Amino acid sequence: MALLEVNNLTTHIAISRGSVQAVDGVSFHLEAGETLGLVGESGCGKSMTGLSLMRLLPPGGQLVGGTSIKLDGRELVDLAEPDMRKIRGNEIAMVFQDPMSSLDPTKTIGYQVAEPVMLHRGVSKAEAMERAAEVLGLVGLPKPKERLGDYPHQLSGGLRQRVMIAMALACEPKVLIADEPTTALDVTIQAQILTLLNDLKDRLGMAMILITHDMGVVAGHADRINVMYAGRIVESTKTDELFSDMRHPYTQGLLASIPRLAQDNTQKLFTVPGLPPDLASPPTGCRFAARCSYATDECRTEDPKLAGPKEHTFACFHPVDGPLDLTASTIATERTAPAVKEKRPLLEVTDLVKEFPVGGNMFGRNKAVVHAVSGVSLSLGYGETFGLVGESGCGKTTLGRMIVGLEKPNSGLVTLDGTQVGSLRGKALRRHRRDLQMMFQDPHASLDPRMRVGSILREPLQIQGIGTTQEQLSLVTELLGEVGLPKSALERFPHEFSGGQRQRLGLARALTLHPKVIVADEPVSALDVSIRAQVLNLMKRLQGSHDLSYVVISHDLAVVKYLADRIGVMYLGKMVEVGSGEDIYQRAAHPYTAGLLEAIPVPEPEVEREKRGGGIKGELPSPVAPPSGCRFRTRCPLAQERCAEEEPAMRLFGDGHVAACHFPLQTPVSDTPVAVSTPAGEAV
Amino acid sequence: MAGYLIRRLTTAILVVFGIILVTFLMLHIIAPSPAITVLGPKAQPAAIKAWNHANGFDKPWWDQFATYLGHLFQGNLGYSYHLNQSVTALLTEKAPLSGFLTVASLALSILVALPLGIYQGVKRNSFGDIAATSLAMIFYSMPTFLVALVLVQVFALSLKWVNPNVPQDQTLSGALAGWPDLIMPIVALTITAVASYSRYQRSAALDVLAQDYIKVARAKGLSERLVYSRHLVRNASLPMITLIGLSLPLLIAGNLLVEYTFNINGLGLLFVNALQGYDYNVLMAYTLITAVLTVVGNLIADICLTLSDPRIKLV
Repeated sequence: MALLEVNNLTTHIAISRGSVQAVDGVSFHLEAGETLGLVGESGCGKSMTGLSLMRLLPPGGQLVGGTSIKLDGRELVDLAEPDMRKIRGNEIAMVFQDPMSSLDPTKTIGYQVAEPVMLHRGVSKAEAMERAAEVLGLVGLPKPKERLGDYPHQLSGGLRQRVMIAMALACEPKVLIADEPTTALDVTIQAQILTLLNDLKDRLGMAMILITHDMGVVAGHADRINVMYAGRIVESTKTDELFSDMRHPYTQGLLASIPRLAQDNTQKLFTVPGLPPDLASPPTGCRFAARCSYATDECRTEDPKLAGPKEHTFACFHPVDGPLDLTASTIATERTAPAVKEKRPLLEVTDLVKEFPVGGNMFGRNKAVVHAVSGVSLSLGYGETFGLVGESGCGKTTLGRMIVGLEKPNSGLVTLDGTQVGSLRGKALRRHRRDLQMMFQDPHASLDPRMRVGSILREPLQIQGIGTTQEQLSLVTELLGEVGLPKSALERFPHEFSGGQRQRLGLARALTLHPKVIVADEPVSALDVSIRAQVLNLMKRLQGSHDLSYVVISHDLAVVKYLADRIGVMYLGKMVEVGSGEDIYQRAAHPYTAGLLEAIPVPEPEVEREKRGGGIKGELPSPVAPPSGCRFRTRCPLAQERCAEEEPAMRLFGDGHVAACHFPLQTPVSDTPVAVSTPAGEAV
Repeated sequence: MAGYLIRRLTTAILVVFGIILVTFLMLHIIAPSPAITVLGPKAQPAAIKAWNHANGFDKPWWDQFATYLGHLFQGNLGYSYHLNQSVTALLTEKAPLSGFLTVASLALSILVALPLGIYQGVKRNSFGDIAATSLAMIFYSMPTFLVALVLVQVFALSLKWVNPNVPQDQTLSGALAGWPDLIMPIVALTITAVASYSRYQRSAALDVLAQDYIKVARAKGLSERLVYSRHLVRNASLPMITLIGLSLPLLIAGNLLVEYTFNINGLGLLFVNALQGYDYNVLMAYTLITAVLTVVGNLIADICLTLSDPRIKLV
């Protein structure tokens, strides 16, 4: 008998216009000590499955008859609420996604960890606090006894997630449900937390359900994987087999559409066309049929059941045989970037510095300064794409905002096509803004919800006074076609579009003024994997047809490597390494770049399992008081005394490949310091 | 904390000074001298001029303002030419009763509105919630004096439970001797305040209920009652502190209408009469009280917030 047996789990959520079939007939089992991965895109029902197991459904949600959840042979569905409460936090515990909002801001972390212990073990507060200190030590909180009285806001995101895990583990549950436990964290912290979860699972002999959208995360940490689509499990098997020998076309498409670090970036990304179905009125037959290239009439009328050998089940009439051959001629290879027209750089950024004052009072005393960007230089050639990567707080977004002129630098120059942007005022500045446009991260927040798409797209033209209404309309309609949206979109409001479509609108808006440079800040990080590939392909295609240069900002090195010709790696306001995608990926010279590469979870089980325990230790230091010398030294495995005393200069490691490190992983070409600002293909 | 208080008090003094200056100027433009009030409408221009000279009203405004400020520092708020009494004496006489009405109704409305709002948030869209929201909307959109008139009609005139005329005793203890008659004015003030606070409290509760830490608390196995008492109430009350602190002077304004309706001889009535008679030392005093209450209410709210929200530190 398995520890947890779930049969025919079906959850419906009543909404005003009917009922959403969020989870539909999900069955699986879980053994002690096992990790089950639950993967799928947003809205596929993976989180709802987790909440259903805890019987913590949102208002209007209910488990439908026929559902059976057995823990150690005990049926949970029939339990009265008070008995179910004895299970929650005691036998099944849950870790949620966002460590920032998951802790009560007005209670100490000690109390919050001790709370379930008092509740379920009936011990005194003092005893529970002792247990809390013990568990907090277990999850790696330094000096746990002294920090019991800390409040959540005093901890970093990574430490808060450790507190969350401690809270879940305080009563030694049999099953731990981790719902996107690392999605809100930086990659280096993500690697630490995933390793921690894995170790604790082994030490405590728990079973774990790891819910995530990230195939890389499950690749290294799950024993078995259930792939979910539109409320159902479509494929279920051992991790290795799923990656090497998947049978469901959705699994195949999902894996094929993830940009890989090792990918040839002249090749188009594989895409799964369309959108997942609306679960308030799901289609008959296979729910993936509308997006599946193998679908036949049978798929559209008959419902495929989860079948196949016990070790590898899948729900498909026309199963595929292993991963897509991505080098096959089915995927067009095209060189999309326009030919480099001129040798001189289009955009030059020299020694940009931005500092934000924090605190202080009205008399200007006690003022502290956040060193957001501390002297960064880069250059961008005609038709080139420059990628900026780094963890949150490294200054990449501030740098992007300074480039387009949304933020004024404290010092340093931005030169576009020979014009110094900082010297422009009034009309000239407004005229100049046409050349530099921005594409934002959040497709929901960056479009005015009360404006129709037509007005949103025409607004830049109206502000710049370009063309008559007729001309503006025809230009906007043409752009809509280019980003793959129908003309009817003009009359609609942003909320009528999906996230991917809204990001297309964001790109169209950036394009209306025929800019020379588009700064794209995390253009795809809010999108699901299958949609992400569509937008990335679109960005590449439009770069060719519009003679664009991009500055792409992302925390995701794979996305940046796919789009960019050259990549700059930032750490705490400094550029630490610049090079081509291959330089960064194959020949990283800076230990931070290497650590970042190590920490990124890749969708390859063998690679991921090798990585246990590696990566960058610790957390990002405060940008208010950055470390002396090399800013990375506090987390660097190679740091020596010299790193604290002397700031490393940029040295050349190859054609266009520079890094700032005293003890680099590669041998530099020469020891003379160099400037960073050179476009691709040119020796420094 | 001490440094913060010193800085806040400095700002507060500047703000109050600014308000006094502006009010003083406005009143001067409207009515440069109370001579007519004192001498009667048929007074000869020469008499008025003589009176103005004798009482310093022919001096330039800044001179008069300096004199006023000087008196203010000695605790002298001027003289009411209308009532032939010093303003300070008037205030000492009338403030206790008005203050009692304000404090009593404020305490009562917090005691009612906070639990009510939390209940509405928890039982969102239930019959009780909808009923409470509808009533709150009705009372919120109704002027306080109308609420007061309805109360008088129902409880005093129809049911005859209480006396429509409140005790006219000037002292607080004297007024309290006839306390049943004070119930209606307090209730009238409370109803309006509850209508406004409970709506804010409801939406604050809904905000907190949508937070992940409520979900986490449930996932720990806490019962709903414990989830609410431990994780909802404190977090949902935080935004109310600022709101209540800021509405302290509004209660005085509410007092004005209620005192007028119930014929309570308090600060409100004093102010209404002063307005009608250009009794401008009284008007100045009233503005001063409101300004000080605004500043003090803000300060109290900030301090309370620091004490109850660990994220906020006053530096």
